[in-house]
Amino acid sequence: MRSAADPCSYVVLKNVSKTFLDGDQKVHAVRDACLVASPGELIVLLGPSGSGKTTLLTLIAGLLSPTSGSLSLFGQSLTSYSNGDLQSMRAKRIGFIFQNFLLIDSIPVVENVAMVLRFSGRGRSDALARARELLDQFGIGYLARKLPSALSQGEKQRVAVARAIANNPELIIADEPTASLETNQGFDIIRLLHDYARQERRCVIVATHDLRIADLADRVLRVVDGRVRVQCPQDQAKEVYPGRPVA
Amino acid sequence: MISYSAKILTGQPLRLAITVAGISLCIVLMLFLLAAYHGVADGSVDYIRKNRSDLWVLSSNAWNILRGSSILLTADAARIEGINGVKSVSSVLFLLTGIRKDGQQATVYLAGFDPEADLGGPPDIVQGRTVNGDDEIVLDRDFARKFNLSLGESVRVRDTLLEIVGISDGTNALVIQYAFVTLRRAQQLIGYPGMATCFLVTTEPGANIRAISEGIKKKVSGVEVYDHETFLKNNIRELQVGFLPFIYTVAAIGVVVLTAILSLLLSVNILERRKDFAVFKTLGSPRGFVSGMVISQSALISLAGCIAAITLYFPLVNFIERVTPEISTRTSIWQMSAVVAVVLAMSVVSSLISMQRLRGIYALEAFS
Repeated sequence: MRSAADPCSYVVLKNVSKTFLDGDQKVHAVRDACLVASPGELIVLLGPSGSGKTTLLTLIAGLLSPTSGSLSLFGQSLTSYSNGDLQSMRAKRIGFIFQNFLLIDSIPVVENVAMVLRFSGRGRSDALARARELLDQFGIGYLARKLPSALSQGEKQRVAVARAIANNPELIIADEPTASLETNQGFDIIRLLHDYARQERRCVIVATHDLRIADLADRVLRVVDGRVRVQCPQDQAKEVYPGRPVA
Repeated sequence: MISYSAKILTGQPLRLAITVAGISLCIVLMLFLLAAYHGVADGSVDYIRKNRSDLWVLSSNAWNILRGSSILLTADAARIEGINGVKSVSSVLFLLTGIRKDGQQATVYLAGFDPEADLGGPPDIVQGRTVNGDDEIVLDRDFARKFNLSLGESVRVRDTLLEIVGISDGTNALVIQYAFVTLRRAQQLIGYPGMATCFLVTTEPGANIRAISEGIKKKVSGVEVYDHETFLKNNIRELQVGFLPFIYTVAAIGVVVLTAILSLLLSVNILERRKDFAVFKTLGSPRGFVSGMVISQSALISLAGCIAAITLYFPLVNFIERVTPEISTRTSIWQMSAVVAVVLAMSVVSSLISMQRLRGIYALEAFS
């Protein structure tokens, strides 16, 4: 695991733990996690359901505070951010892709994309223009006025990526982005994110239990029982699920 | 934000329509109660308001004519006339009596006045003329419409047939309507020729009203004298005491129902779109965006309710007044503005109630 943090690193976790209380029981969702995420790389957090991947992502997004350890985002300790700073940071510097994409069903595709631009402070017409431009880039400009409920999974996937990169964020956090997709569509989305990381010198962190996408990652981190135990090259990913083939 | 809110609302058109209908009916109810109150208030006191007398003389136990029993002797009128500064004194006798016509019967508040003095008669004649003779009667317009009575027809009061010679306006007090006959006829109907309810006194220009009042009380024992303004206020107060609590209670129920409907819809919308709200929070929606969406949804529904209510209100009131003519309403811009203000205030209250649900929605839910 990278130990020395590059001053340009977007995310630095040092011995971060997160414990929840479930009644009288303590649940250790993340234990002593260390991670450095820098520009230009796509990191895959690989592990089975309940391993703590999502908790790790929400810590990185500043949605949760660590119980112990230190967490820096964009060169600044998480504790130094006010709630307003965190909100502003999520709007401007972090893009999100959720499991099942979570597009807002009641508003058209173009407004789903424009929404994050509005959150970052852009005017309505400017945001809509940029959203249309992005949809055109992704070859789905014709879907702009459609409601997400009318879209196929593949189309939703592209809209979700467009929404995530609309503000050209330094960091993209993706939670199980391939969960509801066929293999090819899964590869497509990871390829898009990989290209974005490389071309724009941005960082993408993907949490998944899908071994197939490990091939495209720059780094694969194994998450088991809340521990980021191994920084493994792609060919070691199969250690996470012994006996199962890596796609 | 408003466009998101509008789209969320229109995403469930049937639910939105039912909610707007419910809210608009509550608004119509409030508007109608206010208008009915003003109709009654005007109808009840117009008789007094438009009366030209300077002083009203009643038994000392009565301070209004709506809910007071005053018994005076007409002979005392002559004693008042002798007071310096008094121009004229006119006796008026009020009694509740039944009117019959072709098997129908109804009760009126009959005012017997002296036609020659031209004081104490109908405030506005909208058809025909005032009474001149003892066999004539003037009826309230809404009363005449309700019982389908018109000029030239006769109605029976006790055993006496009275011809309808005029129709008056501003004489509908909702639960009872005024009718007008000569003082002599009213006295004959009650069976006591020398009896009156009150004396209407006019004074010479520049006369000292207070001195005249004192003079009347000295000359006639057991009476109270009120100037025109005080007597009008007494009657309005009496009406308010008897009627306003009812209006307020029903209107308050309307407001509570409106708030409950609105809060329910907003809460259901929040719970149904819980994931959307979590996504908004995760994506870094600005402070106040999510709660602003709830407020704007509430405001949009309230506004739609107000527009629907105002569109519905006038045809509905016309229909009600046609079916039940004794219900007389007076609607003003002021009343409408007041109701709209109350509705908008309640929409804010509903938003605040519903916003409690937002506290339980966490950004983390977008990852579950």
